[in-house]
Amino acid sequence: MRTSIIGIYEDEKVLMDAFNRLQSEGITIADVLSPIPLHGVWEKLKLTTRLPLATFLYGAFGAIATFGFLYWTSVVSYPLKFGGKPLNTLSFIIIMFVLTINIGTLFTFITYFIREKMYPGKKVELAVPRTTDDQFTIVIERPHNMSAEEQKKINTLLKETGAVDIIESNN
Amino acid sequence: MYNTRVRGILIKGNKSFSDVSRDIIKPMDDKTPLWWYISAFIASALLIWGVWGFYNTITVGIGTWGLNNNVAWGWAIINFVWWIGIGHAGTAFSIFLLIVRQKWRTSINRAAEAMTIFAVMAAGLFPLIHMGRIWDGFFIFPYWNTRGPLWDNFNSPLFWDVVAISTYFMASFVFWYIGMIPDFATIRERTASAVKKKIYGVLSFGWIGNAKGWLRFETAAILLGGMAAPLVVSVHSIVSMDFAVSVVPGWHTTIFPPYFVVGAIFSGFGMVLTLMIVMRKLYRFKDYVTDGHLDAIARILTFMSLIMGTAYLTELFMAWYSGSEYELFTFMKNRVTGEYKFAYWTMLICNGMIPQLFWFKAIRKNITIVFIISIFINIGMWFERYVIVVTSLSRDFLPSSWATYEPTITEIAVYSGTMGLFILGVLMFFRFVPTIAISEVKGVLKETSTLKSFTDEN
Repeated sequence: MRTSIIGIYEDEKVLMDAFNRLQSEGITIADVLSPIPLHGVWEKLKLTTRLPLATFLYGAFGAIATFGFLYWTSVVSYPLKFGGKPLNTLSFIIIMFVLTINIGTLFTFITYFIREKMYPGKKVELAVPRTTDDQFTIVIERPHNMSAEEQKKINTLLKETGAVDIIESNN
Repeated sequence: MYNTRVRGILIKGNKSFSDVSRDIIKPMDDKTPLWWYISAFIASALLIWGVWGFYNTITVGIGTWGLNNNVAWGWAIINFVWWIGIGHAGTAFSIFLLIVRQKWRTSINRAAEAMTIFAVMAAGLFPLIHMGRIWDGFFIFPYWNTRGPLWDNFNSPLFWDVVAISTYFMASFVFWYIGMIPDFATIRERTASAVKKKIYGVLSFGWIGNAKGWLRFETAAILLGGMAAPLVVSVHSIVSMDFAVSVVPGWHTTIFPPYFVVGAIFSGFGMVLTLMIVMRKLYRFKDYVTDGHLDAIARILTFMSLIMGTAYLTELFMAWYSGSEYELFTFMKNRVTGEYKFAYWTMLICNGMIPQLFWFKAIRKNITIVFIISIFINIGMWFERYVIVVTSLSRDFLPSSWATYEPTITEIAVYSGTMGLFILGVLMFFRFVPTIAISEVKGVLKETSTLKSFTDEN
């Protein structure tokens, strides 16, 4: 079971200052939970996402697959002339444009949930439920072999930096 | 991602994060008000009347409509284009303003997006039932069949329409839904009701609001928004091509795609204004949807109205300049004057002239007048579609088959039904979903409390 030390803050600015202070003291921060996105935290925790790349690939697949289908149906499977237009026509671009967005959107949406391991009805037990409302938390993992001094140092730092409460959680 | 400064006070009343959650969730926790029941009753009555219209159309046939040899497209297409246009506001509002980093969108985007969903649902019903034999509707999809297989005509704008509208609905819905997930989690954690906790627990997909989650959330939102933005332009361009690729005078014109797109955004913003004024009044959301928000929408409408007026004048000029007697006849004899002049002038006055009153600050500040003007825009844009569809068809190249079009009671019932569906959808949204994006408002809350309001500056 994983144990964490959680510092609870009530202001994003205080939290950011605390975050910087803890990092400068060499403490590894596992996560930050907040009711709003905190852009500074992502950079400091070196978090990145490959979602844009995935979206690009889905879009490229969508464009190619749509053209392939249109070409096959209109030129190979049943080459029927409409209004004297060529079989492989520029009109395809319109359908390709829309379906590129369609496939890109749908797959990005699905990928987001898969990567986040989110699904309807997923049960969560938040150690600090108010992180979805008006509180911010800094989560520090506590290994079993963490020394008492180290734990004390963390607690002191959290307090000094303005944490309104410090709790331990097994989630 | 989209971390920019804001122009002025967007949220009044020195709110804390907790106040924001409380205020926005309050209408969902309170006892259902009487006005909600009355509105829901009226909307349901309209919907039931609409169901009768649908039933009549499907069991008896399209003959129940006032269509004739010439005017083969009547209210169904008018209403379809009208609803789709209204639906554009949500995406235009929410996504364009997201991309151009306008933070005042945060109080309004959720309602505008909801409006899109219900308007597109209402719009989608018309292409379905106008086929008459609705059970053959699957013919439109390219599927392996025993006729060759004979595939769809991929050069047809009607096919493009099906692809565009269904994509638009899906893209709008996923963008709307993903934006609501953190708010559903807020409700899940705040509510004391076990039932609500369960329902919003399911809807929130286990959102916890950790750093990586927020990063992916914002990335996904901007990606989905970025992909949906071109749809705003393409969907109504494609709808306009239903008309523009024909050889009918008044339709066969290259101005149609931009003219339709601007018209759609104009009508959509008009409906957003109507809805937001109603919402802020009923839910006392004046601290969130401030006069500054309404002022900003009114300014956009002034600009849009200018474009609409220019488009109308350009059409008249081109009819004259083209030297085509058919074009000239359609515009000068069948629109500006003639049997349909009431519809034409209603369109011109409501869309091109009345919104110009927004140039005056006193008008923009008087919310009652702003509300009335927004209603005029909705009416004007309906008449625009009426003018385009009916006047061009009723008198085309063959005078012996000229005919006047009037809607029948079935067409009126179907239209009323979609109105009922829309209103009922909006009422459900008011009751069960946070009408303002809680987490997005919190995101701009701090920045907005120290700066001067942009309306106060002017």
